[in-house]
Amino acid sequence: MDLGRGLRLRNPLLVASGTFGYGVEYADVVDIERLGAICCKGTTLRPRQGNRPPRVTETPAGMLNSIGLQNPGVDAVLERYAAQWAGWRVPVIVNVAGESIEDYVQVVRKLDLVPGIAGVELNISCPNVGKGGLQFAIDQDAAAAVTRAVRRATELPLIVKLSPNVADIRPIAVAIADAGADALSAINTLSGMALRRDRSGPFLGNTYGGLSGPAIKPVALRIVYEVAQVVGIPIIAIGGVTGLDDVLDFLAAGAVAVQVGTAIFADPTLPVRLVDELTAECGRRGLASYRPLVGTALPGRTGAASSRGVEYRP
Amino acid sequence: MQLVDAELQESRQILPGQWLQQYHAPALAAGARAGQFVHVRGDWSGLVLRRPFTINTADPVTGTISIHFREVGRGTAWLTRLRPGERIDMLGPLGQGFQVDPRSRHLLLVAGGLGIADVRLLVDEALRDGRQVVLLYGCRDASEVYPSSLLPDEVEYLVATDDGSVGHKGFVTDLVLEYEAWADQAFACGPLPMLRTLAGLVAGRKGRLGVATLGRKRGGGRPVPPGSPAARRRSFLQVAMEQNMGCAVGACLGCVIWGVDGPQRVCREGPVFAYDEIDWDATAGPGTHAQ
Ligand SMILES: Cc1cc2nc3c(=O)[nH]c(=O)nc-3n(C[C@H](O)[C@H](O)[C@H](O)COP(=O)(O)O)c2cc1C
Ligand code: FES
Repeated sequence: MDLGRGLRLRNPLLVASGTFGYGVEYADVVDIERLGAICCKGTTLRPRQGNRPPRVTETPAGMLNSIGLQNPGVDAVLERYAAQWAGWRVPVIVNVAGESIEDYVQVVRKLDLVPGIAGVELNISCPNVGKGGLQFAIDQDAAAAVTRAVRRATELPLIVKLSPNVADIRPIAVAIADAGADALSAINTLSGMALRRDRSGPFLGNTYGGLSGPAIKPVALRIVYEVAQVVGIPIIAIGGVTGLDDVLDFLAAGAVAVQVGTAIFADPTLPVRLVDELTAECGRRGLASYRPLVGTALPGRTGAASSRGVEYRP
Repeated sequence: MQLVDAELQESRQILPGQWLQQYHAPALAAGARAGQFVHVRGDWSGLVLRRPFTINTADPVTGTISIHFREVGRGTAWLTRLRPGERIDMLGPLGQGFQVDPRSRHLLLVAGGLGIADVRLLVDEALRDGRQVVLLYGCRDASEVYPSSLLPDEVEYLVATDDGSVGHKGFVTDLVLEYEAWADQAFACGPLPMLRTLAGLVAGRKGRLGVATLGRKRGGGRPVPPGSPAARRRSFLQVAMEQNMGCAVGACLGCVIWGVDGPQRVCREGPVFAYDEIDWDATAGPGTHAQ
């Protein structure tokens, strides 16, 4: 599959940003080279210490997190990991976050042309950072502006990640596609909160957190389905994938690939297993590629332009 | 770190609401060190996260490990219903264990409540290596006192209860001063206020005793980076910390506590830290108030 500008994935199973670190942490128990791609932890221009603990808690069919984009900054990320990534077969997509357009542009300039960086995923939707992320993701002009600025700054394949925390995602998705994104990923977490056991206040140190896991899958499915009908660039679905049925649902709703996030914490081997299960499913249906599975649930089933470039070969 | 299938061999309630379970998991038993933990997943439906448990005991000869936990939520409730012969999935051994200085003869262990699970394996390791162990244990009342039958005879075991129904009436930390001169190193796990009190006591210890610190024989020795095994080995007090976890392998940054150098992952830099690595004012444990 070519997600645009030469970002070729050998299979459509990616691991989601923030749930797989920098690809090295799970290497003892996961054959990472078999993944479609790795989206690394959100990376910012300067180091960030992140939010006060506690930062995670389990919720019905999901979890809340408020990491607050803790990361060592783009320079340290490159220094520590780029050489290693360059030696891997699996492409590494750097997830980028910022508090201003200039932040994003500067980070992306540093990533441009560095061996080991296969692409960029813009996190314009992290609901954890008060003033930064949220504004870009909920405002189509701001979302388009940051996409355009980053597009001008790099030839790297550019994926923009959508936030579900908006009333209507479609105009925002269209604006981002028009501004030059090669692909969209959807969705980031839903804003939520939990209380302390004794109900004396919010549980998370940051009060608010992002909800992920099976609980958000229907929301993600709705957003992929809506976006697939209004943009012509590939969509990578994210949200509550725990099994092959979820993968097939997202493909049918118009996604060309999926990311697995929270489910990795329970079963680190899941993404690689899903690669095998999807291959087996294609075999069972007598399909040479996954393309016929994409967009089958969309109204009319025509104009599923989002399947452009889907050419996985098992 | 490995993903293994662990078979439950024995499960019993050792105290009201507290369970001791023994699993056959040779790969984990072989490599486990005191203070390390396993991240556990049952065949439970509806739960998205694993549950971390300290390795309470490990026996490489029989290939078994045990965990000791309180039934507090759906995950632990599910575990109490597991029957011998049934299996769960364990990721481990994880994290950094306690660092014992090879020269330490006298180890002081301080445990509050379930914190005993974190230091229990250290008792076995220390005795095996010919050290003397004093274990101070604090809990609410007589009903919660950790059974001495679960401890080797060689351990000197002292109890403090809030209501005085067994042992010293008051905090377990009240007992520490008596042993601070005897002890070469101290290791603790328990509620945050207990650990914070201990850290405060230890900060004043040098002044009270006027003793030289271990490992500083010649001109203070080589400087060691804070947080390194060598630095922890030289610290009088090491503490095992707790936090809610996501991945338990260092990938998600969900489990941090606040250190003097910023956030520290309990699953990776910890769970064991030297007491002076931690910013006690900024650190909030699970369910406590966060600044
Ligand atoms: C602990 C945690 C950390 C995350 N960090 C990031 C991040 O740094 N950048 C980002 O774009 N998304 C981040 N996410 C969101 C995930 O990439 C994903 O969009 C979301 O969790 C939904 O997918 P899931 O239900 O499969 O987890 C994070 C999610 C979790 C659970
Ligand atoms: S639990 Fe994920 S980093 Fe510690």
